[in-house]
Amino acid sequence: MATEKTQYDDFIVKGFIISALVWGVASMTFGVIIAFQLVYPQLNFELPWTSFGRLRPLHTNAAIFGFALSVIFATAYHTVQRLCRTRMWNDTLSKIHLALYNLTIVLAAITLPLGYSQSKEYAELEWPIDLLIVVWYVIFFANYLMTVIKRKEEQMYVAIWFYIASFVTVPLLFIVNNIVIPAGFLKSYSVYAGVFDANIQWWYGHNAVAFVLTTPFLGLMYYYLPKHIKQPIYSHRLSIIHFWSLIFIYIWAGPHHLLYSPIPEWLQTTGMVFSIMLWMPSWGGMLNGFLTLTQAKDKIKVDATLKMMLAAVTFYGMSTFEGPLLSIRAVSALGHNTDWIIGHVHSGTLGWVGFMSAAALYYLVPRLWNANLYSEKLANAHFWLGTLGILLYIISMWVSGITEGSMWRAVGENGELVYKDWVEIVEFLKPFRLFRAIGGTLYLTGIVLMVYNFIKTIQNKDSGFVEQDLRIGVKS
Amino acid sequence: MLGFNKFLDWFSEIADHWDTKGVKFTLYTTIAVVIGGLFELIPPFFLTKTVTPISTVKPYSALELAGRDTYQKEGCIGCHTQMVRPFKWEVDRFDPTKAYGRTGYSKGGEYVYDHPFLWGSKRTGPDLAHESQMLRSDEWHKNHLINPRTVGGVPNSIMPAYPWLFEESHKVDVEQVVSNMKALKAIGVPYTEEDFANAPSLLKDKTEGEALVAYLQKLGKDSAELQKGMK
Repeated sequence: MATEKTQYDDFIVKGFIISALVWGVASMTFGVIIAFQLVYPQLNFELPWTSFGRLRPLHTNAAIFGFALSVIFATAYHTVQRLCRTRMWNDTLSKIHLALYNLTIVLAAITLPLGYSQSKEYAELEWPIDLLIVVWYVIFFANYLMTVIKRKEEQMYVAIWFYIASFVTVPLLFIVNNIVIPAGFLKSYSVYAGVFDANIQWWYGHNAVAFVLTTPFLGLMYYYLPKHIKQPIYSHRLSIIHFWSLIFIYIWAGPHHLLYSPIPEWLQTTGMVFSIMLWMPSWGGMLNGFLTLTQAKDKIKVDATLKMMLAAVTFYGMSTFEGPLLSIRAVSALGHNTDWIIGHVHSGTLGWVGFMSAAALYYLVPRLWNANLYSEKLANAHFWLGTLGILLYIISMWVSGITEGSMWRAVGENGELVYKDWVEIVEFLKPFRLFRAIGGTLYLTGIVLMVYNFIKTIQNKDSGFVEQDLRIGVKS
Repeated sequence: MLGFNKFLDWFSEIADHWDTKGVKFTLYTTIAVVIGGLFELIPPFFLTKTVTPISTVKPYSALELAGRDTYQKEGCIGCHTQMVRPFKWEVDRFDPTKAYGRTGYSKGGEYVYDHPFLWGSKRTGPDLAHESQMLRSDEWHKNHLINPRTVGGVPNSIMPAYPWLFEESHKVDVEQVVSNMKALKAIGVPYTEEDFANAPSLLKDKTEGEALVAYLQKLGKDSAELQKGMK
């Protein structure tokens, strides 16, 4: 009889965890570099491959598709096997996926600094790399779906719903937005032009936020949070309602990126209305997370992983409140194109995605390598450095963004612009942008501590893992 | 509220059945997602009023296109937008010569040959949609690109310097530009055989930097001409 250990393929989970750590550190390091470049332009070094314009897409691609996707795949492989009580359908396909996926990120890390870019945000990679992505995606998705189909557990747990929704939507967005006409081996043009291209790009761009940075992480929350505290999810019905409304509404929200642009008025209004409606399902997910967490509330003080989950859910609630707010026309008029948006995005990515990822990794690494976490204290330090970093980041960006927007629109009594000189505004924002860079550095430091903690843990592998019981009333 | 509660009960009950059927569940999820996507993406293509063509807007010349490629390559989109919103303060700032009159904001028709669109999403530097109307000389642009902080440039600018763009080693690749134009023709940009034939002489000995300057000087020029003609 197969034992629990040989039943599941954990090699693939470990592979993606290591990818996540490598690309996580890389993407955030680039983030910190470009943040400092916006204060000290000398840091561009007057070299093509170190200038801001080329490193910025490298930062976003490595963070979204290197770090976040690695976490998504690691947790998808881990959860689907357990929730379906079956091994992956085909281990070889999993390994090919891991290899080709990492090859893609390496190719991205080479081509983007060399200036090969489609210039569509989060879809910068040139067409041969896009084709490679389609190849490994099909391999992965077939493997995932077959595993779900041959499952031994009749009911599909809510975590699987969120993963499936993500995995069917992402290729749809990716393929439609990336239809290009090649003009050479690494050069292509979007087949759509102008206004249409903008509409499709932001339909994709916003839903990359929805179906890469939100739904998989909700799925991950629905698995690891109840598992970690050994308590059921607060409300199954709330899961159903917020799942279906979230995936139905999210896809409409794209045009809120194009308010006051030449896209049709009705489209802008639709985008705005659906963005506001999105607030409800988002908070449905947040509340389900929160109320589940309260079942272990007296352990929040002692467990860093739990703290991270709590902070992650809080930042999720905060940035999904801010999102609908920013999609209201009048607010968009002030905030659009400013640092405020950068702050909003980072409260979601650093707070929600980053902390939820870290929590999942703190859960997974000791279990997979069968060793207790090297240091709970370091994990705690990671939490506080990360939290402080995020707060510095988003507060300075709020101040900077709102200042920036107000200075742009300031008109004197005679109807003339008060701040005609653009650089005057740039100068004024420098201190806030410096604080942002410092906040990012603190966050990166936290991540480095986590990696060190994991290396030390992995060095003790097979020393035996003892699970903590976090239930209320159980002494730890 | 009772009706709504009943609706929720009814919905969660049927949805509960779906999560025992993997394929069915995946199908329904896809449908839920596709509805919104189709609604947003398809109608704009059939509404001709969405984009009124502006008669004077012409495709980019070979040199301007090479400049646009350079703009894409250097990731200028990361800091510059190319879309002026219909606010007085934006129109005043990005069209100080009032070349467009009171309606100097961006129109859909200005972008009909833009594959891809380059509106951007972050305005760390100024908007460039109507850069040609700022009436700066080619020489100013060149100096500013080589080092934004030198005399004649903008002393406190945080823009990166692009000295390499004007180096001998960064000459425009003529063959590549011609094949780029042919690709664009295939998706509807009205380039002619004459344009292809003229490209080599237009591009001869030009650097990527000079091409970029030509592109910047083209931005907003055609539609401004239309406005001037109407006055």
